[in-house]
Amino acid sequence: MLDARSSIQHLASSILLLVLSSCSSLSFLTNPASEAVVYALGPREGHTSPLGADLKPACPALVFDGDGFKLSAAHEGAIRGVVTELGGNKKTRLLIAGYAQPDLPHDHARSLSERRAQAVRQRLIEFELDPSKIQTVGFGNDFSPSGPSSGVVVIYRQ
Amino acid sequence: MNPRALLFILSLAITGAQAEERGGIFGTLKGWVGAIPGLGGKKSEETPQKIMTRIRVTPFTGGTGASAEAALRKELLASREFFVAGPDEKAEFTLGGSSSGGRVNGRLLDVKGKELFQRTYAAPGLDENLKAFADDVIFTITGRPGLATSRIVFVSDRSGRRQIYICNAEGGEVNQVTHDRHGAVSPTLSPDSSLVAFTGYSSGFPVVNLLDLHAGWERGVTDTPGTSFGAAFSPDGTHLAVVMSFIGNPEIFVSDLNTNTASCISDSIGAPASPSWHPEGKQIVFSNDDGSGPKLNIVEVPQKEGAPSRLFRWRTGYHFCTDPEWSPDGRQIAFTTRKSGEWAVAVKPYPNGGSRIIQGGGAQHPSWSPNGQFITYVQHGGLFVHDVRSGSRRQILKGYGRISEPRWMR
Repeated sequence: MLDARSSIQHLASSILLLVLSSCSSLSFLTNPASEAVVYALGPREGHTSPLGADLKPACPALVFDGDGFKLSAAHEGAIRGVVTELGGNKKTRLLIAGYAQPDLPHDHARSLSERRAQAVRQRLIEFELDPSKIQTVGFGNDFSPSGPSSGVVVIYRQ
Repeated sequence: MNPRALLFILSLAITGAQAEERGGIFGTLKGWVGAIPGLGGKKSEETPQKIMTRIRVTPFTGGTGASAEAALRKELLASREFFVAGPDEKAEFTLGGSSSGGRVNGRLLDVKGKELFQRTYAAPGLDENLKAFADDVIFTITGRPGLATSRIVFVSDRSGRRQIYICNAEGGEVNQVTHDRHGAVSPTLSPDSSLVAFTGYSSGFPVVNLLDLHAGWERGVTDTPGTSFGAAFSPDGTHLAVVMSFIGNPEIFVSDLNTNTASCISDSIGAPASPSWHPEGKQIVFSNDDGSGPKLNIVEVPQKEGAPSRLFRWRTGYHFCTDPEWSPDGRQIAFTTRKSGEWAVAVKPYPNGGSRIIQGGGAQHPSWSPNGQFITYVQHGGLFVHDVRSGSRRQILKGYGRISEPRWMR
């Protein structure tokens, strides 16, 4: 009796899942993965940490409000400015350092700041900068950046 | 209702009946439905009131016998595991032994006078020996580890930079264990408390290091580009779960400490952090922020290289959840959340059950005691120990700089 019931349930669930598999218009069933190519980081050699040297930012710090890591129009403008300033020199080494607000849980702050730095790096690569020359680091709220805001990404020219 | 959505819900309900044993999202749904009276849910049975085991400490012989006996009584009372009976009262277990020059020879007898164990403790200090004896007694009688020899590792900025410190369960015997040039953070202890894994900034970049507390050597585990942090030892101490970002995204990796190889177990487009192992070592809970605030996720650790692993979201009822840690029995997960604009420590049964805040007002970064009875956390820079059963708590360390990221040896 139990076996028969189980078989019926299995059959019904299989039919429903088959029907659902054709429902590609259901947005919550689609794969959220981005189509963009993500470039792994190259070796860190030749890059200097802002903790050990007085590095100059390539542009004003990119301020992130709230908890997100998506780039805003203001970030886009700043990134375009860096690309324009570099001109044809696509081989310039850059270090993109993320910092997070001091009130965030520490581990989450490290990951969020790294993720923001990676988002900026990805955009720079889309402007055809050499991926192997761009490093990221997420300091979370372990260190404070210079300037009035703490949830920022700073692009350092190396 | 959208007919396709209805089909999906029906499918979940049917599949959930089959997937009860598998847990996860289907098991959660079934558990939620099953908990409703009239839908197959059972009424919760009343937990019988715990009767404390009665234990008697007989006089110790030897030159330091009297001191040993007094210190042992203190340790047993502090453990809250036993009722320490007087000389004429009935007891289920009897402790005795001798102590000379700080060495301790202790034995434990059951109610029939049968010897359960007899051991010699020969560490340099009397207190150290009695803590070890008390923990052995607790483990033999209750099956749970004692806390007398357990350690809490934490970060403090008292030296001007964030460095790693270690203390005992009462906030005593504090020692600084790192002296990195730019600081050290995100510490965790190996199961036998011999190793500390932490993120060091000595090179100016975050690198996960291992420090042997006894031998003093230190070595890098993740000298990879990008950021590494959030190290957590597997229950058997052979693997380290860690967040690394060298592949172009922060992801959770499991590193084999013997072979120095690592495999990626998460598939995140967001910001994963704070991995914590299930006590059986087959699953890892971590927080992940996909852009809408960090939530808790659970991933199965592949037992063979290349084997598929299931990853699913574990709902807590809160929109912001970080720093998860599994209890030593695997039946609860503690985490940091946000309530009324302030940090709070919450506990939720695993796999099913409702979350409850055990401490608000800025409490964060919970870590379970090895026996699962207490949780340590930080609140406004102080270190607290919270009794999960009674709800009572006390600050074990204050005025020691700003303390953060505590982890209790498991």
